[in-house]
Amino acid sequence: MENGEGSISLSRRQLLHMIGTTAGAAAMYQAMSSLGLAAESPYKGPIDLQGAPRNASVLILGAGMAGLTAAYELRNAGYKVQVLEYNARPGGRNWTLRGGDRYTELGGLTQQCEFDKDLYINPGPWRIPYHHHGMMHYTKLLGIALEPFFQVNYNAYLHSSRAFGGKPQRFREVKADYQGHVAELLAKATRQNALDAAVSTEDKQILLESLRHWGALDKNYTYSPSEQVSDRRGFAKNRGGGLSGRPVQSDPVALHDLLDSGLWSGIASGDVFDMQTALFQPADGMGRIGEAFGRELGTLIRYNAKVTDIHQDERGVTVTYVGSQESGAPQTARADWCLCTIPLPILAQIPMNVSQAMASAISAVPSAPAFKAGLQFKRRFWEEDEQIYGGITYTDLPIMNIGYPNTGFQSRGKGVLLGAYIWGLRAMEFTAMPPQERVQRVVDYGSQIHPQYHQEFENGVAVAWHRAPFALGCFGMWSTETRAKHYEDLCQIEGRIALAGEHASFLGGWQEGAVTSSLDAIGRIHHRAVALGEKA
Amino acid sequence: MRKLLLLLSIAAAASAFGDSPIFTSRATLPSLNGEQIYAHICQGCHMPGGQGAVGAGYYPKLAADKNFVSWQFVASTVLKGRNGMPPFGYPSNQDINSGPAHLTDAQIADVVNYVRSHFGNTYKAQVTAQQVAALPHPAAETIGPQ
Repeated sequence: MENGEGSISLSRRQLLHMIGTTAGAAAMYQAMSSLGLAAESPYKGPIDLQGAPRNASVLILGAGMAGLTAAYELRNAGYKVQVLEYNARPGGRNWTLRGGDRYTELGGLTQQCEFDKDLYINPGPWRIPYHHHGMMHYTKLLGIALEPFFQVNYNAYLHSSRAFGGKPQRFREVKADYQGHVAELLAKATRQNALDAAVSTEDKQILLESLRHWGALDKNYTYSPSEQVSDRRGFAKNRGGGLSGRPVQSDPVALHDLLDSGLWSGIASGDVFDMQTALFQPADGMGRIGEAFGRELGTLIRYNAKVTDIHQDERGVTVTYVGSQESGAPQTARADWCLCTIPLPILAQIPMNVSQAMASAISAVPSAPAFKAGLQFKRRFWEEDEQIYGGITYTDLPIMNIGYPNTGFQSRGKGVLLGAYIWGLRAMEFTAMPPQERVQRVVDYGSQIHPQYHQEFENGVAVAWHRAPFALGCFGMWSTETRAKHYEDLCQIEGRIALAGEHASFLGGWQEGAVTSSLDAIGRIHHRAVALGEKA
Repeated sequence: MRKLLLLLSIAAAASAFGDSPIFTSRATLPSLNGEQIYAHICQGCHMPGGQGAVGAGYYPKLAADKNFVSWQFVASTVLKGRNGMPPFGYPSNQDINSGPAHLTDAQIADVVNYVRSHFGNTYKAQVTAQQVAALPHPAAETIGPQ
């Protein structure tokens, strides 16, 4: 088997070398994708929209990642582009709240972000995995500096309020102990011949050796205190130099306590494909991407425009809009084609003449509840006191996550962390509270993990996505049932209208879903426009 | 011991929602009545007092909604969701942290009765759990968050 793979990879390499030298890097990337070497995302490299008919026009609804991507590419391809955006800023859910920002949620409650200059929170997306090639492409193109995002920090915590007396455990300890105990059990079963039906005699020895290696087991295949085990789970006293440098080994947690704690459920947090290293965050906040697109597109975007009607005929689409505060007389915009990226809960309420199938699809996708809170503290105590530099703590408390800043390490002065990132029912409950109470509760719960909270807390902001006036929820929640019944109807071009956004993707809630759905849709619009030629 | 800790944490958390626990859990969610369900869940969107809200889209005001004449309309909306509103009628084996919230047929009946008799609505008829049970429910399974 190994030989077989070796010969395949050799011929692949030769082929790729040939393509790379004759056709350049872009073709090489395409070829790599088609060979499955870089095929993680449907993104296939820069889109080719050559041959746009003269004077063909596209009206784009929404200036989030989907709309901005489409506007950028279609404009570059020669289409006449207009974008209508409800907010007064570009980006949509690509958004950063900074000191000095004001945010008014549905119902009129306004929060003033009182963070210090340069401190921020990303209320929406906060990470970009390396294989979200579309996002990687556009951040590079726009000159957005990327920083590492630490999905997994071995020194952050896994916490259960019902285990270990409520004391948070280091990720490193839980992982090492779980792995060690499981390896020991499996080694025992193997040596007692319990696995003989599944493992050949030759494989048995290899399996045992691999379990010893994987679980840091001793020569008797047991997981017990040792230099080796402490090298995984950490020492009680770390190794150092000189007379004071002698280490003290640590003791593993018993298997029963570990299983009973439920903390094992946090071990695989970085094993999910979209969470696998490397991940990135834009320096200075996720919102820098939307802002850069906004600068690039300039006056093509009309802000503060609330769409009230979408009507197509055989030759094009007319969209009626008013001011965001329902101010001003209705105005209209018209184009040959319309790419609509309005989130589905909002679109479902806007009159639009499409088929019953598409209308049903638009109404079939519920919006996921989500909640985030950013907290400013007087000092970076998580670094100073607990040596947690970036990454995430997971807890069974209602706050669910604490995200530490992945930037500005060791800087003196204040710091902002993500005090809560909550989904599901608990997000609904946080949404139902006034913002100040939300922040207070986040601080109260967080203090069970970091007792410094009450002493060091200064101010906070809380964003409940169902109260976001421009989104009415966090992202489209498809089920297997609704996906089978409605997804293709949602993604069709109907007459002159196509939809795009994360809701029109298999990457729900990810910006890459918005970008790839947008490129997919405008590629198809372009085909139709070219086929119609000047008549378009 | 665990039960005691749970009770203590609920007692400590009770405040803005009157005597109801602040954070529902697998254990406490089924005990919420219609009024508490409204305060914990529904008012996140439909707002305190059922006022509704308007942005790029809107959350319907629950007062004087002519659709409320039909209890089936209200119950079916809670069960299956509508226009982005999440369904609450999924089977009960859902993950409380990430999956959709599950309400029992009795709770759905109770919350339907609550909204149809508050916020200026004056429908007297009481819907029962059996009547809700007879309506179509959504199938199990949905996709978790990112």
